[in-house]
Amino acid sequence: MTLKQGKNNGRYQVISIDTELKLERRLEALGLTEGTLVTILNNDKKGSLTAKFRGTRFALGKCIADHIEVREAGA
Amino acid sequence: MADIINVGFIGNPNCGKTTLFNAFTGANLKVANWPGVTVEKKEGKTIYEGQEFKLIDLPGIYSLSSYTMEETVSRECIMSNDVDVIVDVIDASCLERSLYLTLQLLELGKPVVLALNMMDIVEERGMEIDLHRLPEMLGTPAIPVSARKKTGLSILLHAIAHHKEYDTQGPFIHHHSGMRSSHRHNHHEEYAMVYEDVIEGKIDMIINALAKEYPDTDNKRWHAIKLLEKDKTITDAYPLPLSSVIDKSYEKDIISQKYDFIEEIISEVLVNKSAKEASTEKIDHYMTDKWLGLPLFLCIMALVFFLTFTIGDWLKGYFEIALELFSGSVSDFLASIHTNDMLVSLIVDGIISGVGGILTFLPNIFILFLALAILEDSGYMSRVAFVMDDIMSKLGLSGRAFLPLLLGFGCTVPAVMASRALEHKKDRFKTILVTPFMSCSARLPIYVLFSSMFFGKYAMLVCYSMYLLGIIVAIGTAFILSKIDGSKAEHALLIELPEYKSPNAHTIAIYVWQKIKDYLTKAGTVIFIASIIMWGILNFGPHGYVTDISESFGSMIGKAVIPLFKPVGLGYWQIIVALIAGIAAKEVVVSSCSVLFGIQNITTTKGMESMVATLGALGFGAANAYALMTFCLLYIPCTATIATIQRELKSWKYTGLILLYQLFAAWVVSFIVYQTASFL
Repeated sequence: MTLKQGKNNGRYQVISIDTELKLERRLEALGLTEGTLVTILNNDKKGSLTAKFRGTRFALGKCIADHIEVREAGA
Repeated sequence: MADIINVGFIGNPNCGKTTLFNAFTGANLKVANWPGVTVEKKEGKTIYEGQEFKLIDLPGIYSLSSYTMEETVSRECIMSNDVDVIVDVIDASCLERSLYLTLQLLELGKPVVLALNMMDIVEERGMEIDLHRLPEMLGTPAIPVSARKKTGLSILLHAIAHHKEYDTQGPFIHHHSGMRSSHRHNHHEEYAMVYEDVIEGKIDMIINALAKEYPDTDNKRWHAIKLLEKDKTITDAYPLPLSSVIDKSYEKDIISQKYDFIEEIISEVLVNKSAKEASTEKIDHYMTDKWLGLPLFLCIMALVFFLTFTIGDWLKGYFEIALELFSGSVSDFLASIHTNDMLVSLIVDGIISGVGGILTFLPNIFILFLALAILEDSGYMSRVAFVMDDIMSKLGLSGRAFLPLLLGFGCTVPAVMASRALEHKKDRFKTILVTPFMSCSARLPIYVLFSSMFFGKYAMLVCYSMYLLGIIVAIGTAFILSKIDGSKAEHALLIELPEYKSPNAHTIAIYVWQKIKDYLTKAGTVIFIASIIMWGILNFGPHGYVTDISESFGSMIGKAVIPLFKPVGLGYWQIIVALIAGIAAKEVVVSSCSVLFGIQNITTTKGMESMVATLGALGFGAANAYALMTFCLLYIPCTATIATIQRELKSWKYTGLILLYQLFAAWVVSFIVYQTASFL
């Protein structure tokens, strides 16, 4: 599944990131690497969502969230 | 006195770096741009116990790679001799995120001092940071400070002065449980950040190669790591025949191993991590809600708008009275000392009314930027980007562009200035291009006058249609542009949502003062020159100084371009001159019309009747009036706006392009409007 398909307050683990290199490196520098745990805060809208990883909240556009493969990480 | 110590302040965005920097330097700072780029560079000075410190505020960044302008600038500055000691400002309330940059800074091999900011928030949340263990693991001093409460500042300067000489780090005390190194060096004694054996092995090989090929290179370990990451700048500068060692980019591994180490640090340093839910999440529950987010934002903006244009206009009224008194007394004074008419006209009609007119906008600008600074400093602005992202991305604009567009209804000058909040150059350009189409308050007098003259009881509706038309043209322009360049990736929203905090008065005061100073000095000089030029065009003719405007160069230009304006229903030289004069300020179109058609008190019922009669005799009817309003809505913005656009884009070429496009849009839309209206 992708991060965009996740549910509010759900915890997910990043499997892979499939975007252009520059964006991927930017995400990695922010700490969104493979294996990172991400908590979705607000994924109600069709487009962007808010999520928390490594202690900080971020707003991610749909075109980013669509390209992050995740799996459920359990509570 | 000892040598000046050059200190570079660096940290993540929103870590309170600027607040800390301001706490040291006050408003005494030099703001410039880094050479060649539009990234702001701030420098200041402070003296502590006889030691002078030169402080450089580097841009807020998350990493030291070279993917963005800010990162490249910061890295180059730190690596150069401009910086003796690096102060890494850390938001202690999100230690995990901040430490990534810290690990990168440590690898640079320069003395690093950590300034742990926002310790009060950490305490509030019931968390604790082990301030002994942290320096043990990183090998560098960590000083708790509060930029807002101004505590820990002297200790930080102390640490900087003492730590200046330390370019080696350590000692380190690590307990890497379960990590068995079979590597022949024990790097754990030398470096805070040690990678897995495979990578350390490669680093050693590259260091050996560097020692052979480039023996003078400082800090070979850092260069080796960058080469392993296939960093473009370093790879180009140090070509090495090591394709078997650097067989791929190890950047990903290097990043994730750094984060592994950070996890280790956090687990040892951060006590009581799972504290109560921060209030930020509760506020965001409403602020970023699918349904509530947008109305809440609109309410907040309505309030900002209300304050800007009610209190602002109220104050502006006094400014105008003062200006009138001033220009009246100046002209009386000049008359009393028998100055010649031309000079009086230049000073009073040209300079005072031109520059003074701009000064009357100061209250609006002040209140607007005060409100924006509060919203920005409290952390709300990044939520706006999230709330508006979906709608704006359909137009190929970033979510943050909504704010400048909305402000454009008030005054285009601050609106264009507000576009500075946009991250990408392209977004900024697009936003600045369409912002002037948002009908500003100065255009309202034109609509009111012409709609009440020609449309009677439908006047209100006609006025309103102007605002709609402006929005349609703006949306259309943005949409067409997004279709042309089609670059989606740049709009990929990626923005930190910082903790909400109560705004800091000191930070806001400095921010607003900078904006006002900017507006007064730079825009002021351009407007000064523009006022003189406009005055010259309207008061000089082939026979020198003229008092009758119809003999001026302005009227000659107007008469010359009549054929161009005929198809849009504006082929009257007086109207064209009024439009030219309107470039100084849009309200001037109204006053110019009254002067050019020789009608006094044009806004009174009687004045309007005689104006309609005069215009009617020339064949100027309702269709022409509507075309004129449309043209005023869309054509070249006022000189203050042009000056601001030029300053924000730092390019006369792009400013010229924008003006041309606006003229073009004005002509085309007025043409369509006029031809359709005449046909009906």
